[in-house]
Amino acid sequence: MLEGLVSQESLSLNSMDMSVLERLKWVQQQQQQLQQVVSHSSNNSPELLQILQFHGSNNDELLESSFSQFQMLGSGFGPNYNMGFGPPHESISRTSSCHMEPVDTMEVLLKTGEETRAVALKNKRKPEVKTREEQKTEKKIKVEAETESSMKGKSNMGNTEASSDTSKETSKGASENQKLDYIHVRARRGQATDRHSLAERARREKISKKMKYLQDIVPGCNKVTGKAGMLDEIINYVQCLQRQVEFLSMKLAVLNPELELAVEDVSVKQFQAYFTNVVASKQSIMVDVPLFPLDQQGSLDLSAINPNQTTSIEAPSGSWETQSQSLYNTSSLGFHY
Amino acid sequence: MQPTSSMNEEFLKKWQMGLQIFRPSIDNTSVHERKKAIKLSADVAMASLRKGTTCWSRALIEKTATEDNFLVRQMLSGIKAETLINKKLPKKTVCHRKIVRRSKKILRRKSKSASEEAAAKAKRLVKRRTQGLRNVVPGGELMSNDVLLLQETLDYIVSLQTQVNVMRSIVDAAEAEIER
Repeated sequence: MLEGLVSQESLSLNSMDMSVLERLKWVQQQQQQLQQVVSHSSNNSPELLQILQFHGSNNDELLESSFSQFQMLGSGFGPNYNMGFGPPHESISRTSSCHMEPVDTMEVLLKTGEETRAVALKNKRKPEVKTREEQKTEKKIKVEAETESSMKGKSNMGNTEASSDTSKETSKGASENQKLDYIHVRARRGQATDRHSLAERARREKISKKMKYLQDIVPGCNKVTGKAGMLDEIINYVQCLQRQVEFLSMKLAVLNPELELAVEDVSVKQFQAYFTNVVASKQSIMVDVPLFPLDQQGSLDLSAINPNQTTSIEAPSGSWETQSQSLYNTSSLGFHY
Repeated sequence: MQPTSSMNEEFLKKWQMGLQIFRPSIDNTSVHERKKAIKLSADVAMASLRKGTTCWSRALIEKTATEDNFLVRQMLSGIKAETLINKKLPKKTVCHRKIVRRSKKILRRKSKSASEEAAAKAKRLVKRRTQGLRNVVPGGELMSNDVLLLQETLDYIVSLQTQVNVMRSIVDAAEAEIER
C-alpha cells in the first residue's frame, strides 16, 4: 500500500510539475484558463458523489479509506491536470484550426483561382464556340447570298424570256391588237408611229365605223360582242330577208293570177288615202328625221346621176303622173301598214 | 339608216313597169313561172335603185340579164342598160392549191405561244364569217377589201328592206281585196 502511495505521490508530483510548467507556458492566455476552470467545476461534481458512496459502503477501513481518499484526490488532481491537457489540446486544435484556416483560405484561393482559371478557360472556350457558331452563320449567310445571286440570275433569265415573248407577240399580233380585247400586246419603240401601223389603224377605224352602222340596221345585233358574232348576225339577217322576198313572191303569184296590180292597188289606196293623209304625213316626218346619214349618201348618188334623173323625169307622160301620185299614196299606205 | 319613202316609191314604180312587161306572156302559166317573173322584176327594180353605182347592183343586173335580157333592157332603158350589162367586172384571182398548202405548212412549223394561238383562232373565225358574208351578198366574191364589203353589205341590206316592205304592203292589199 505504501509503495502504492509512493508511486501515486510520485505520479502526483510529476503531474504537479507538469501542471506548473504548463501554467507557466500558458499564462499569457487567460481566456483559456477561464475555460479550464469551467471544465474543472464540471468534472469535480461526479467525483465527490463517487467518494461519498465509497464512505457509506466502507465504514471499517476509515483510515485506509481516508488515505485512499487523499490518493484519490491526488488522482483527482491528476485527471484535473489531464483534463487541463484537454483544453490545451483543444487550444492546439484551435490553433491548428487557426493555422489550417489560412491553409483553407489558400486552398480556397487556389480553388477560386482554379475556378477562375476554369471560368477563364470556359470563357475562352465559349467565345471559341461562339466564333464557330458565327462562322457557321457566316457560312449560312454566304450560302443564302449565293442562293440569292442564283435567284437573281434566274429572275434575269425570266425577264429576258418575257421580253423575248413580248417582242414576238408584238411582231406577230400587232395587227390583231384591237380585235381581241383580252390580249394586250405592247408595241415596240417606233412601231406605233410607223407608216404601215398608221394605215392599219385607219383601216381598223373604218371597219369599226361600218360595223356600227350595220349594228344600227340589223335588229338584235347590239347584244352581240365581238366581230365574229356580229358577222354571224348580219349573215343571218341578210338570208332572212332574201327568204322573205322568195316567200312574198310566191304568195303574190298565188293570190294574183293575172298580175293586175296597177288598177286594183290604185283603187284601194286612193280609197284609203282620204282617211290617212294626216297620219301618213306625220309618219313621214318622224321617219325622215333619223335618216340623216343615209340621206347624205342618197344625195351623193342623186347628184352623181342628175342627168339620168332628168331623163327619167322627162320620160313619163300624163298617165305616168297619175301613177306616180297613186304610188306616193301607196307608199304612204305602206308605212301605215 | 332605214329605207325612205322615196326609195319605196321608186321601187314600186320600177316593179310595176316590170310586171306590165311580163303581163302578156304570163297568162295561163304555172304558179312557179309567175313567181319567177315577180322575183326577177323585183330584183331588177331593186338594182335600179342604185343605178349601177354599187358592186352588188351591177352583179345583180348581170345575173338577171343572163336570165332575161329583154326585161333588163326595158327596165333600165333610162340608165344606159347596155353600158351596165357589158361592163366588165373584176375577175377573181385564183391561187394554186399546192402553193397555198406549202405556205400553210411553212407557217405551221413555227411553234406559237398560247396567246398567239388564241389570236390565230380568233382571226380564223373572223375570216370564215367574212367569207360567208361574201357568199351571201351578190358580187361579194369580187370585193377586194373588208371596208368595201361592209359598205356594200350596208347598202344591200337597206335595199332589201325596201323590197320586203313594198312587197308585204302589196300582199296585204291583195289579201284585203280578196276578203272584200
